Amino acid sequence: MSIVSVSAPPAAAAFLRRFLVCVGWSGLGLVAVAVVLSDFLAPVPAGATHIGPLLSAPSARFPFGTDLAGRDMFSETLHGLSVTVAQACEAAAPAILAGGLLGFMSAHLPRPAGLVLRWAIGVLAAVPALLLAILALGLIGRGFAGIAAGLAVAPLAFMHAFDRAGAAGNSVYAGYARAMGVSASTLLRRDLAYEFRDRFVSSAARAFVTVTIVLATVGFLHFGAEPPQRDLGLMISDATATDMQAWWTAVFPALGLLILILLARLAAGPDEGARP
Amino acid sequence: MWRFALWEGGRFALGLFGAALLAAGISALSVAGGQGGGRAFLSAMAGRLLAFLRLDFGTGAGGQDVLHELVARSPTTLALVLLGAVIAFLFGVPLGLLLSGGPLRRAAAPLIQIVAAAPVFCAGLALALIAQRLFHRPAGGATALLLAALTVGLAGAAAVQLALRRAAAEIQYAPFRLGLRQLGLPAPEIDRVYVAPLVFAGAFRGLGDVMLALLSATLVAEGIFKCPGLADLFLTSVALRDWNAAALVLFAFAGAALLADFAGRLGAQTIAAR
Repeated sequence: MSIVSVSAPPAAAAFLRRFLVCVGWSGLGLVAVAVVLSDFLAPVPAGATHIGPLLSAPSARFPFGTDLAGRDMFSETLHGLSVTVAQACEAAAPAILAGGLLGFMSAHLPRPAGLVLRWAIGVLAAVPALLLAILALGLIGRGFAGIAAGLAVAPLAFMHAFDRAGAAGNSVYAGYARAMGVSASTLLRRDLAYEFRDRFVSSAARAFVTVTIVLATVGFLHFGAEPPQRDLGLMISDATATDMQAWWTAVFPALGLLILILLARLAAGPDEGARP
Repeated sequence: MWRFALWEGGRFALGLFGAALLAAGISALSVAGGQGGGRAFLSAMAGRLLAFLRLDFGTGAGGQDVLHELVARSPTTLALVLLGAVIAFLFGVPLGLLLSGGPLRRAAAPLIQIVAAAPVFCAGLALALIAQRLFHRPAGGATALLLAALTVGLAGAAAVQLALRRAAAEIQYAPFRLGLRQLGLPAPEIDRVYVAPLVFAGAFRGLGDVMLALLSATLVAEGIFKCPGLADLFLTSVALRDWNAAALVLFAFAGAALLADFAGRLGAQTIAAR
């Protein structure tokens, strides 16, 4: 077996890739519907306690069981998913705008200015995004978890966009274009148009994955959503209070989170990692 | 090579300076307290930066010297990161190489997505649950440290295999490979002599990302397995708005990531130059 294959990818692989991307987006569409209709689909409102017996195992009446406060875990998981998705959408916007778009534009600034910006953002990118998000939440308050997560992920997106735009700027076609008198702003517009057409959708999905993981972890560490509002991370964290004896209180929210992240990863394209 | 090392050394030093500025800015919040406007904040930040040069990192919320606190808590985090790194390379390198093969990489792509969709804290909780079922009690002491290291290591292994697969994907269709095949060199020979060094060099360049993954995972693992290290200190500091301690931990983590990035780039250049 060769470490890397010389031949072009077979058509079956390309089909599988397209199929998985379709599965990802279709799944995310279903999740969006479930989130929008969560108040109708969930049998009880968010945070309603003593709906059933405490720590009741999954049954016909409570398919996901109940937790330590007698909350219906099915309803709670749906509401938690809704909170997580809403926060992730809120976070993905700054990650894309303050990260990807700004990084792309900065690469087209005069070289000294671009390099200084890259250095400054590079310092932020050397700090784990999770730490930055927690720090931002400590500074601006827990009510802004989405924005904090988005800003924490933005440096990574900035670096990748800056380097990609820099490579495009140094490419042969860019050299020819400049030699033929094409202005820098025209080149920027052209590069931006191609970037938007070729990469925006997958970059947005990838940003969604990263901010969802950061948000869930921040919630798990009790820095995210403020009770009584609970996101999936906080629900999983609350489940550890029972020393994991009531497994269903952790497993169903965790499954919801895994499915959400998996669908977004598939939508981003299966070849890439978690980078926004 | 020396010119490259000097250039990268300069980048590393500049990165450390930037991290110190960031830490000074955070630490200045303790002094300025958000009052007095931008001028007061900048003055406090400059003061903190000068104090850093004298190794004065201020005192924490409880009046303790934060540098002493950092030194006291470092061994736990260091042990987690080092053990985690060993586990990460032990699992990540074979997995990455195995999944770097063109057909296998494509076939395993959906599976990788499923595994990689699990956040670190889910993996940590799963390990804690398994340990509890095996030992019939919550993990503590050395077991907790080992489980925490395993959690950190698994996160690191994911980053290592990703770096290897990325590096392999970058040279998958490199023209030199086709040229060498046309010259009559067998595929294993091309892989061993020409492709493998480039793959490893690419993976070395991702060492900074691997360190970031390890450090992020310590934040979660220390919480789940109750191993009070630097990450735990950071969480407590932010919760108590103790900015001096938070700034120092942030500087230590950024320094570690920058150092790993620097070492990785040097390693990659050394391999590629041979």
